[in-house]
Amino acid sequence: MAKSAGLTAAREKVGRRSADSSKPPRYSAAGLLSRGARKTTWPRVWRDVPLQKTYDVVIIGGGVHGLATAYYLATNHGITNVAVVDKSYLGSGGSGRNTAIVRSNYLTPEGVAFYDRSLDLYNSMSLDLNINVMFSERGHMTLAHTDSALRTMNWRAEVNKLQDINSSVIGPEDVKKLAPSLDTSSDPRYPILGALYHPPGGTIRHDAVVWGYARGADHRGVEMHQKTEVLDILVEGGDGPDGKGPGGKVTGVRTSRGDISAPIVVNCTAGWATLISDMAGVKLPISTRPLQAAVTEPVKVFLPTVVVSGSLHVYVSQTDRGELVFGASVDPFNTYQVRGSLDFTEELAGHVLELMPGISRMRLLRQWAGLCDMTPDYSPVMGFTPVEGFLCDVGWGTYGFKAGPVSGEQMAECVATQQTPKLIEPFRLERFSTGKLVGEKGAAAVGH
Amino acid sequence: MSTSPSSPTRIDAQPGEVIDRSTTIRFSWNGTSMTGFAGDTIASALMANGVRVISRSMKYHRPRGYLTADFWDPNGFVQVGDDPNVRSGHRLIENGMDVEPQNVWPSLDHDVKAANGLVGRFLTAGFYYKTFMRPAKLWPQFEKVLATFAPGGTVDLDTPHRLHDKRYIHPDVVVAGGGPAGMSAALAAAEAGAQVVLVEHEHHLGGHLLWGSDADRAVVAHFASALEKAGVEVLLNSTVTGRYEDNWVAINQRSHPLAVERLIKARAKILVVAPGLIERPYVFAGNDKPGVMLSGAVRRLINLYGVKPGSKAVVLTANADGDATIADLERIGVDVHVVDARKGEGIVAADGPAKSVTSVEGADGTKIDCDLLVTAIGWTAPTSLLNMSGDRPVYDPQTARFFPGVDIDNVLSTGGIVGDGMLDEVIDHGQQTGRLAADRAAAVAHRLQAFTARATPVHGDEPEWTPDRRSELPRDAHPELFRSSTHGIVDFSEDVGSKDLFGAAAEGFDSVELIKRFTTATMGPAQGKLETVNTVAVLAEARGETIAEVGTTVWRPPYAPITLGALAGRIFEPVRVSSIQPWHERNDAVPILAGAWIRPEHYGDAAAEVRNTRENVGIIDVTPLGKLDLRGPDVPKLLSMLYTNKWMKLPVGSVRYGLMCAEDGVVLDDGVTARLGEEHYLMTTTSSGAATIWEWAENWLQTEHPEWQVHITPVTTGLTSINVAGPKSRELVGRLTDIDLDPQSFEYMQVRTGSVAGVENCIAWRIGFTGELSYELHVPSGHGLHVWESLLEAGTDLGVKPFGLEAQRIMRLEKGHFIVGQDTDGLTKAPSTGMSSLIKLDKDDFAGKAELGWAMEDVEAPIVVSIQTSDGTIVPREASQIVKAGTNEILGRITSSRMSPTLGRSVCLGQVAPHVSAPGTELTIVLADGTRTQANVMEHHAHFDPEGERLRG
Repeated sequence: MAKSAGLTAAREKVGRRSADSSKPPRYSAAGLLSRGARKTTWPRVWRDVPLQKTYDVVIIGGGVHGLATAYYLATNHGITNVAVVDKSYLGSGGSGRNTAIVRSNYLTPEGVAFYDRSLDLYNSMSLDLNINVMFSERGHMTLAHTDSALRTMNWRAEVNKLQDINSSVIGPEDVKKLAPSLDTSSDPRYPILGALYHPPGGTIRHDAVVWGYARGADHRGVEMHQKTEVLDILVEGGDGPDGKGPGGKVTGVRTSRGDISAPIVVNCTAGWATLISDMAGVKLPISTRPLQAAVTEPVKVFLPTVVVSGSLHVYVSQTDRGELVFGASVDPFNTYQVRGSLDFTEELAGHVLELMPGISRMRLLRQWAGLCDMTPDYSPVMGFTPVEGFLCDVGWGTYGFKAGPVSGEQMAECVATQQTPKLIEPFRLERFSTGKLVGEKGAAAVGH
Repeated sequence: MSTSPSSPTRIDAQPGEVIDRSTTIRFSWNGTSMTGFAGDTIASALMANGVRVISRSMKYHRPRGYLTADFWDPNGFVQVGDDPNVRSGHRLIENGMDVEPQNVWPSLDHDVKAANGLVGRFLTAGFYYKTFMRPAKLWPQFEKVLATFAPGGTVDLDTPHRLHDKRYIHPDVVVAGGGPAGMSAALAAAEAGAQVVLVEHEHHLGGHLLWGSDADRAVVAHFASALEKAGVEVLLNSTVTGRYEDNWVAINQRSHPLAVERLIKARAKILVVAPGLIERPYVFAGNDKPGVMLSGAVRRLINLYGVKPGSKAVVLTANADGDATIADLERIGVDVHVVDARKGEGIVAADGPAKSVTSVEGADGTKIDCDLLVTAIGWTAPTSLLNMSGDRPVYDPQTARFFPGVDIDNVLSTGGIVGDGMLDEVIDHGQQTGRLAADRAAAVAHRLQAFTARATPVHGDEPEWTPDRRSELPRDAHPELFRSSTHGIVDFSEDVGSKDLFGAAAEGFDSVELIKRFTTATMGPAQGKLETVNTVAVLAEARGETIAEVGTTVWRPPYAPITLGALAGRIFEPVRVSSIQPWHERNDAVPILAGAWIRPEHYGDAAAEVRNTRENVGIIDVTPLGKLDLRGPDVPKLLSMLYTNKWMKLPVGSVRYGLMCAEDGVVLDDGVTARLGEEHYLMTTTSSGAATIWEWAENWLQTEHPEWQVHITPVTTGLTSINVAGPKSRELVGRLTDIDLDPQSFEYMQVRTGSVAGVENCIAWRIGFTGELSYELHVPSGHGLHVWESLLEAGTDLGVKPFGLEAQRIMRLEKGHFIVGQDTDGLTKAPSTGMSSLIKLDKDDFAGKAELGWAMEDVEAPIVVSIQTSDGTIVPREASQIVKAGTNEILGRITSSRMSPTLGRSVCLGQVAPHVSAPGTELTIVLADGTRTQANVMEHHAHFDPEGERLRG
């Protein structure tokens, strides 16, 4: 795949654009106290700076993937002349619409390695980014309602154990101890026969992750440009009639706020990944589907873990604010619409009450949808494309949030070294034309 | 403390009151028994009993009293029995009702978390993002403390799922809102011939007319009777909670006599949105003190419930409703001090101890003593339903509120959300809207009927789409009043103040969505109906922009929260059983849940069932097998597309096995298909694949090859399927059928039709999943039980016994047959199953062909093999991992394992890496307890009768 020569130049310019000379203040209890006492406010979480004409790297998409890529480009590789552009506000897409569950108990060794790295990064994120992302290591339970589901849980547990991932199959009594609201009797239509229990899994404050990466990247000189929509990607010398497509070379992007020239453009969008790639003449085997979620009114905390039921297509956790957050599987049709449907809430409520009959008086407060870019093998597309200088980190389906940190780290390495890092080797775009599809469908399809 | 209904704050009967003073209701609040009148809300009854503090705020636990005294009151959440977060401004009191404050500790009067208020300046919005990071080990403890601040009531986990039901309606017009505009629209639509449902959120029709003049109430009475006469269905205490695609409208009916809440799903041809306006609080210091109320709350309490909300009032008024409030207060003898915003007067603070207002500070520095501060500073248009229809509201600074932005064909709005005007004008606008709705509904109805196949065709042309020629309602100028010169609470339920918003904006959370996410403003139970516009206004102020530039957040469904019980309704989770199930139950079959089915796992001793089948004859109910009846000249083309092998030349009377793959080459399903006639086939799928394969096949037909003539009928439960297996099966079946079973004329993998036990049109084919001579009978289900019982009766001397799923699993494992989804998984491509001979890449096309081309060359793909442990007494648990000796490197796993009654030792199937798949290779298996054991790869898949002599016999 085509790589870019532009980075050599970029690396030489390391440090050219450092952030404001005064070091930004650290977040801390002491800071809160002194500012409270002095009644002063905190400085901007990221600067509001004018859009330049030229950058070394333009990242499209201000979600966790794009921002993490920018952050690691700056911190790990010293590449700071970087702009992250987003057509809306930061975190307005999947990063702000997901149900914020993280885990690493995947099925394939490749999947486990990848998500375990992500979980590591999430674990130390509050300290790394100096923002409390409220990682709640509350445990993650995937329920088995049939003996075949139980067999799959055993499989995952056995794979995980051999890789030192804390994950085991527990019986209904232990399930009840961990989540007393679950109906573990033998009466229900979907009896709980056991569960795959993964203590290191949990939830995280997704917006804080977005802000943390943005703030960290900003401190190192990266620019965040919101409400800056990419209208076209400028490519020269490609096979297409317009000079785009395979063999071409990126020269920049056209935005709603003017043209930017850049030798490297990274597509970190979700929901619109194909529309952006089309602009460069790169076809992606992706279809876009909505994934719906909903939240209840708050009540006093009663559900201490994350509960997932594959058979009932539902996952649920309770936030520290007391709301139950529900998610489901993707809707079975393609659309760019992000409106919720009534049928979703009905089915969701029915399934949730199957699991927890005692919460029928809780009220649904709000529902929403996000867009998921689905690939044929449920695995992402990462790295180089046939257009030189145009890279992708897309096709994350329903689980992009979990993978945000490690994706950013690996994509940054990819951009900086112009080599595909080993961890994302399986996710190259070529696999669709060489028959090397990745097999996380089994694990990813189980949901969250 | 016991207070009688004639407590000091209950005043004389009011002309428009909705309470019945002749019926006393007894309830309890916070452990104290109290009384009220029939028709009282919890709020009005508590106010009448002199209760002023209802709740504590979320973060600072500040005492709170009623602000709006209606459904949206952010301070009025209470626990009623096992029902948390009850809107006390809306819920009517009932005898014996147990009402408790929520989220207070140790009590409403003395709440220790009120101490947070003292350190409030340090706990700015989002403070938690900036601290509790070190030491990392302590964060879980911090988190536990934070979680105790979760607001809301308590869930009783033993709450029963009460009666809930759903109703489906197809009205011409649904009108959301029963105020003057809504009533008028509903009546006009009905009089124009439309079938109309009018939905009113409150307990009474009339909206704000209810607390108006006698003349206003006469208008309400007139409409109420006219609506009844016109046949309009009026749903009171019900809310249109959502508008979805194609006017799929959700109505939450809280007034059903039996169901606690009932979800009504309406496919409305036209939706009329007439919710009126919601009064907006004013932001100033002390605006959340008990004793600060909005004008609507005061007018409700006085006029509907005869409750006196205070004795000395300051009223900040900027509009006619404020003026009317002053008149109401003066009429009942309250001493009123008027602050008129239209004259440039204002207030800056409400002062007093924590639990009450004692004085108000005016903008001019004056201090006025009072125990009630009323504000009437403007409105929020609840445009939620329009948002859900695709509208983005537009701000009008002259009127100081948002208005609908675009016209939507099948959603019309009327009343307060589109303008002001005198009552006559509003009623007239409603009327025009109703007529337009009826006209358009008729056009939609005609279109729907013309599109639907009907016995009687629809006559006439489609009525013309009536253009919107309604006269517009005037907009009354209103001063823009959002925040005073002081800081106060913006989001009452989230305890977010204007100062927090200024701080957040300064930190760069300066778009409405970011500030919402950072401060949580508008995220609480009112979902922005009270606080969104103030949030926007404060943000605009902080940024030096206009409200129009800042814009609003998107209002998402539901309009008002709806219980999970109502959404779920009666829970329909059917289980499927075969026609033989009554027999299984009578004969003590141990049931197992298999997908949608309940079926016998065994009848007491699976091993004995295996032995009997191998020695004599056994019968098993295999009805859950997916069965698709395929007819048409192009069935072979479809089969060739779905299966990896060839189907163009299957002779009539033959059965063939096939493997199906998805586009990625992964095994999707397998089964046999029989050709029963020239253009008639019966396909079987796995039990779990029945529904998906039907969809899969239809998908190919409908989206890829609509030109193929194939008709698919799923007949899974239409045919009861019985497999008769064992050396004596031919003799047993022969006793009951007219089909010629001679092995020369009815060979292995052939199909015949005929009668069995007197039942005509039975299908019999010879296959061998168990490895025995066997006949699979597919019998019309009405006779399934009869055929089953006949087989048992006819074969008594042959030793016939039923066998269950477990015995079948054991026998197929002995025979080395894999099960899709157990021995294969979401990653297993067809060549891994050892069935490469069934993958015909020379076919033009079939599902998965491209991927399978690569997969056939793949030398790294795992392979399904038969495995036997060296120690035959050890049965490795399914999912046990196969590793490289002495390491944790995974080489494969056991996918199936059982103790074989036939061989007297354990037998397994597994998936292993190709370099350890050769027969005789020694494997290391990690057992459940962590110990390791040795095993060997076997030469054949079949542990038993590898030559297949028995099943071909």
